[in-house]
Amino acid sequence: MNRAFPWKRAALALFLAAVVSVGCAKKQTVRSENAGAASRESQQAGAPGAIGEAPVRETPVTEALKAAEPTQTARAAEAAGVAVTEEKPSVFEDVHFDFDKAALRDDGRKICQTVADYMKTHPRAKILIEGHCDERGTAEYNLALGERRATVVMNYLVSLGVPRAALSTVSFGKERPLDPGHNEEAWAKNRRAHFVVK
Amino acid sequence: MRRSIRMAAAAALLLLSGFPSAAFPVLYIDINSPGGKRMPIAVANFVVSGDSALSRGIPKIIENDLLLTDLFEIIPQSAHLEAVTAAHFSGTPLSFPAWKVIGAEAVVIGKVETKGDRLSIEMRLYDATQGTLMVGKRYEGTARQVRSIAHRFANEIVYAFTGVRGVFGTEIAFTARPGKGRGKEIYVVGMDGQEMRKVTDNRSYNLFPRWSPDGQWLAYTSYRTGVPAIYLRNVASGAEKVLVRFGGAKSPGGFSPDGEWLYVSVSVDGNSDIYRVRVVGGTVEKVVTGWGLDVSPSPSPDGRRIAFVSDRGGSPQIYVKTVGGADETRISQGSGYATSPSWAPAGDRIAYTARSGGHFAIYTVAPDGSGRQMVASAPDGDCEDPSFSPDGRYLVYSFRKRGYSDLQIISLDGRRERTLISGHNDEGSPAWSPGR
Repeated sequence: MNRAFPWKRAALALFLAAVVSVGCAKKQTVRSENAGAASRESQQAGAPGAIGEAPVRETPVTEALKAAEPTQTARAAEAAGVAVTEEKPSVFEDVHFDFDKAALRDDGRKICQTVADYMKTHPRAKILIEGHCDERGTAEYNLALGERRATVVMNYLVSLGVPRAALSTVSFGKERPLDPGHNEEAWAKNRRAHFVVK
Repeated sequence: MRRSIRMAAAAALLLLSGFPSAAFPVLYIDINSPGGKRMPIAVANFVVSGDSALSRGIPKIIENDLLLTDLFEIIPQSAHLEAVTAAHFSGTPLSFPAWKVIGAEAVVIGKVETKGDRLSIEMRLYDATQGTLMVGKRYEGTARQVRSIAHRFANEIVYAFTGVRGVFGTEIAFTARPGKGRGKEIYVVGMDGQEMRKVTDNRSYNLFPRWSPDGQWLAYTSYRTGVPAIYLRNVASGAEKVLVRFGGAKSPGGFSPDGEWLYVSVSVDGNSDIYRVRVVGGTVEKVVTGWGLDVSPSPSPDGRRIAFVSDRGGSPQIYVKTVGGADETRISQGSGYATSPSWAPAGDRIAYTARSGGHFAIYTVAPDGSGRQMVASAPDGDCEDPSFSPDGRYLVYSFRKRGYSDLQIISLDGRRERTLISGHNDEGSPAWSPGR
């Protein structure tokens, strides 16, 4: 997974360039008498293709490599990437959900009430609600399910009087489990909405 | 395709004219007859001027490709009796009895000429029983292109015998956790498991790589700015642009066959719907909407329909819809959990993942929901995320078992399987590149 690869990337660039150049390749018969005769024979037999030329041309490698060098934006993105992949601790408990469900349970409602009370005494606080899922099922579906869980929590907080503008959501689907285990106990912990106070 | 029809017609004609079918003069492999005899083929050492490692190096690449199809039997080089020389490329015929006697029904020979930095590689495939040339090609390129040139001729060999283009030289994009890092990056690997490389490198979550029909671009979701967006990235140059910013959670499903639209799912106010976005210009059209979570759109090869996932019935299931039409037909069965549809290149099957006995397995089904077949399952792990090879003969899918994960390639009949990539880095979301 962490092999060195710059030369491979260069090879790919060449390969792709080669594939492109084939599109405009001209067929050219090899001058060997024998090959010509054999080719005619094979065509009588129904086989495709006389000897032809498929030129694979070289293209500059340097451009592709330049584009791969990290830019300022890429470095900023990398910093943001690390921020996203690290779990930020919360003063609130996580709200948990049943498998493949986004409905709030009673325990979840109580936690939401705690959050709503906090927001009344901290009117300038902003809260990001992260939706998470367990590892079972497709990543795409879980991403949408995580968003639905976060939104259900957000809507409930709004119904408890928290201003909508103080809240935002993001789903990480099954990408960032709290418990790396592969059993019901871990799964139950991972199906959650996590609060990050900004 | 066209060739196999022609062949079939020729065969029918011969049969009608009273020819015994055994006299049919062209070697032919029926890829639809499982368990059929494998074609014995010999790949001779190449005649090389310059880098002598290529003499066996190129035959090895070709042999490995042919073995992957499970349609060929390789006659080992140690058994070869005739030494191929430059003269065999300029008029001297091969001694075909010397190949037939070791069991070879077909022979591949090749010659490499080095001129400075450039190589000229000529390769020929002979029918050893008839002593006729089946395919001959000459390729020119650099030393770095040797592998792709070898793959191309291997494709010619498969085409000559089956009438179906081989998939050597195609690639598979997938996601995995980088060695010790956080998040997920996108990688690309050759279908033979060689030449793996990283596509993204931003220590964020980079998910759901999807190839454009020309194989030049990957669409994917990235969290690199902290907020998820769908990007288009040129695989060769690394050039990139943002295609979808609106909404929350989002994932690309697949491109329309003409490459003009990208089908995506996007969550707005917690509800995921399916949209298509113009690759140039960014115009957005809603395709599937409703209170359920609608995700994973996979366009049909004719572009008229999409398969997608919806949980509108209480659990995620596969549906098929005509783009712009009102019909939405459920095609997965049971009350379980069915996701990740992938439409076959010929349009006749849809592969998907469904839960069965506590684990996920891979099935294929006709687009009308009939003729369901299981392709891959494991008693102790999950088989998910199928993606068709461009020739429609194979699926690549992800296998997971308590922290172990790998990518498997399996023939559609489920009979042949091999591991493409294995590890403990949560390898997943494989997507097979288009044919080249």
